[in-house]
Amino acid sequence: MVQYHHRGCHRQGNHETVGENKEKRPKFFINDHVDILIEILKRLDCRSLCVAASVCRLWCTIARNDSLWENLCFRHVSPPPTSVRSVVLALGGYKRLYMGCVRPVRSRLGRARRASWARDEVQLSLSLFCVDYYERLGGSNSNGRVVGESSPSSLMFLCKPVNV
Amino acid sequence: MKRDHRDITGATDYSSGSGSRADSSSIGNSIKAKLWEEDRDAGGMDELLAVLGYRVRSSDMADVAQKLEMLEMVMGTAQEDGISHLSSDTVHYNPSDLSGWVQSMLTELNGPPTPNLDPVLADSDFNSSNPQHRQRNQSRVFHDDSEYDLRAIPGVAAYPPPKSDPDSDSTRKRVKTSMSSSGPDGDGSGSSFSSPQENGIPGTVTESSTRPVVLVDSQETGVQLVHTLMACAEAVQQDNLKLADALVKHVGLLAASQTGAMRKVATYFAEALARRIYRIFPQDSLDPSYTDILQMHFYETCPYLKFAHFTANQAILEAFATASRVHVIDFGLKQGMQWPALMQALALRPGGPPAFRLTGIGPPQLDNTDALQQVGWKLAQLADTIGIEFEFRGFVANSLADLEAEMLEIRPPEVEVLAVNSVFELHRLLARPGGFEKVISSIKAMKPKILTVVEQEANHNGPVFLDRFTEALHYYSSLFDSLEGSGVAPPSQDLAMSELYLGRQICNVVACEGMDRVERHEPLTQWRSRMETAGFSAVHLGSNAYKQASMLLALFAGGNGYRVDEYNGCLMLGWHTRPLIATSAWRLATTESG
Repeated sequence: MVQYHHRGCHRQGNHETVGENKEKRPKFFINDHVDILIEILKRLDCRSLCVAASVCRLWCTIARNDSLWENLCFRHVSPPPTSVRSVVLALGGYKRLYMGCVRPVRSRLGRARRASWARDEVQLSLSLFCVDYYERLGGSNSNGRVVGESSPSSLMFLCKPVNV
Repeated sequence: MKRDHRDITGATDYSSGSGSRADSSSIGNSIKAKLWEEDRDAGGMDELLAVLGYRVRSSDMADVAQKLEMLEMVMGTAQEDGISHLSSDTVHYNPSDLSGWVQSMLTELNGPPTPNLDPVLADSDFNSSNPQHRQRNQSRVFHDDSEYDLRAIPGVAAYPPPKSDPDSDSTRKRVKTSMSSSGPDGDGSGSSFSSPQENGIPGTVTESSTRPVVLVDSQETGVQLVHTLMACAEAVQQDNLKLADALVKHVGLLAASQTGAMRKVATYFAEALARRIYRIFPQDSLDPSYTDILQMHFYETCPYLKFAHFTANQAILEAFATASRVHVIDFGLKQGMQWPALMQALALRPGGPPAFRLTGIGPPQLDNTDALQQVGWKLAQLADTIGIEFEFRGFVANSLADLEAEMLEIRPPEVEVLAVNSVFELHRLLARPGGFEKVISSIKAMKPKILTVVEQEANHNGPVFLDRFTEALHYYSSLFDSLEGSGVAPPSQDLAMSELYLGRQICNVVACEGMDRVERHEPLTQWRSRMETAGFSAVHLGSNAYKQASMLLALFAGGNGYRVDEYNGCLMLGWHTRPLIATSAWRLATTESG
């Protein structure tokens, strides 16, 4: 509201049509309130978040922020200890954790899921995430004779479509 | 499928001479015209073949397909002038009626078909006593050697007993295969025996697997395959190597007509048997890095190794509890795939991570590279990333029995908590007398807080070869089935490598003896008694391990087939009803808990 008032002050020397513009101008523009925007985006699900990322540059930057993905990962789980964050960030970040592990794990477990298993799902995802990081560390030596082939990925079984 | 039929008919046409072809095309044209005039569904004739000029009923298609394949087999195996009479002497009537024409061709070649005789096998390969063949001057592939007494094969595999029709049929009906055959279920087996198939030949079914009638034969061959394998093993057991040789070749023939898991298992077992017969023993001491690569692919395609690692890790984690310094000795480090997950769990332990020390033991590498150090370096990188104090030591040893506790620099239990981990390593020690006892006493000297053991749940170490063979056949069939059912279709290289990994195990179990036979799997009950005799008592794997294992299995595509079972505190992973690997944890019986 302060902004508006300021604009009103600076407009004294402007064109007369400005007065009409005052009424047509939207009273609230979300991009001006990034903190509210973040609060809203924090509560979205994965698909909506990805869609939101293609709205405009500001939204894209915000959606890429890892803390939003952290919320997604730990959504139905009681807040994890703070040490988790440093580990996850070191291993590649929450977005990678979510897209690579948490999402496939949650979707695969689908109907079989119980609410009490939410924490275990995240733990399992973390373990798989760590194993994947370890594999990606591998230099050429670990593949030995397999030259030119893509290195085996322990998460490949999560990427394959499932015959449910 | 229909394309194959056309190709086959084209081939047989050419081979039987030009006369019949000219006939068929002229007849074909007139018939073709007729067919186009008639309605689409002209008396149940197959439309695509009708366009070519052949009249075949859709309902007869499978039958005709089989007969054509029989014909092809016979022609393929006949030598020189064996079939020249087909072009010069025989009169072909109405070749456009494929069914009748093929039947008459077969009659020409085989003589009147006798019930329950496998003409293809009996005629082309094992022309034992059919006098009409000798009359027709047909060349025989095998000379009549009385040592090839195929009556040894139980059932009606290759030399069916001269029984009457209903008897043998009922025998076949009653025979149940305990291996799951590849492909769709043979539920139509019972009813299809009534179909008038005089020449009950197992045909290649790869292209016709959607038709229930042909399924019967696939399972039929499957049963024959199992019987032949068993007969071959028995022959080897009785040291009747000539018979075993003949049977092994027969297995190869039968295996070629199967698909999927059954085919692969049969092929591997046949190869292993052949090696045993010809005494071409595989070199087990091949490049260990190659074995590692194979195991990596096995790690990816199916959950067995992941299950082993996760459950063992959970037991170790619980044993470590709140210790500030921990030490793990891994009896088979390989690529170190087990440890990232443990390190991550330690890093996120409430109360902060302990100092983690890992001692990895591995076989000597052929090219003198220090594989252990490379793995250690990778793990150190990971430890650095997630913030754990890490120390690594690698030990190269030909056999675990070469190790002494003093070499490993064990620190006293007040300073450092020790866990010993063995995944698929202990059974190798049984090859050397006293090997296992020595290692167990070394472990006791180390005073570990916990010893985690993962082993195959199978009895491949019995004194009698035939028993081992039978057990192995069932075990690896289940294993291959699960690989097949895992739905990992695109990265076929992974699947192939995993199968090769298992194939080498099969080869070792069947073909090797003495110190070379290292795959001496024993069931959990036997391990339990060994451990208890040695002074260890079982530690129950808790519900956390069970939960993790169940979730892990649910992630795999074949998740419905995998089963986790708890058995006296140990966890077993199996495929359907068959447990395949077992994880157990042990502690020294005399130590105080804590």
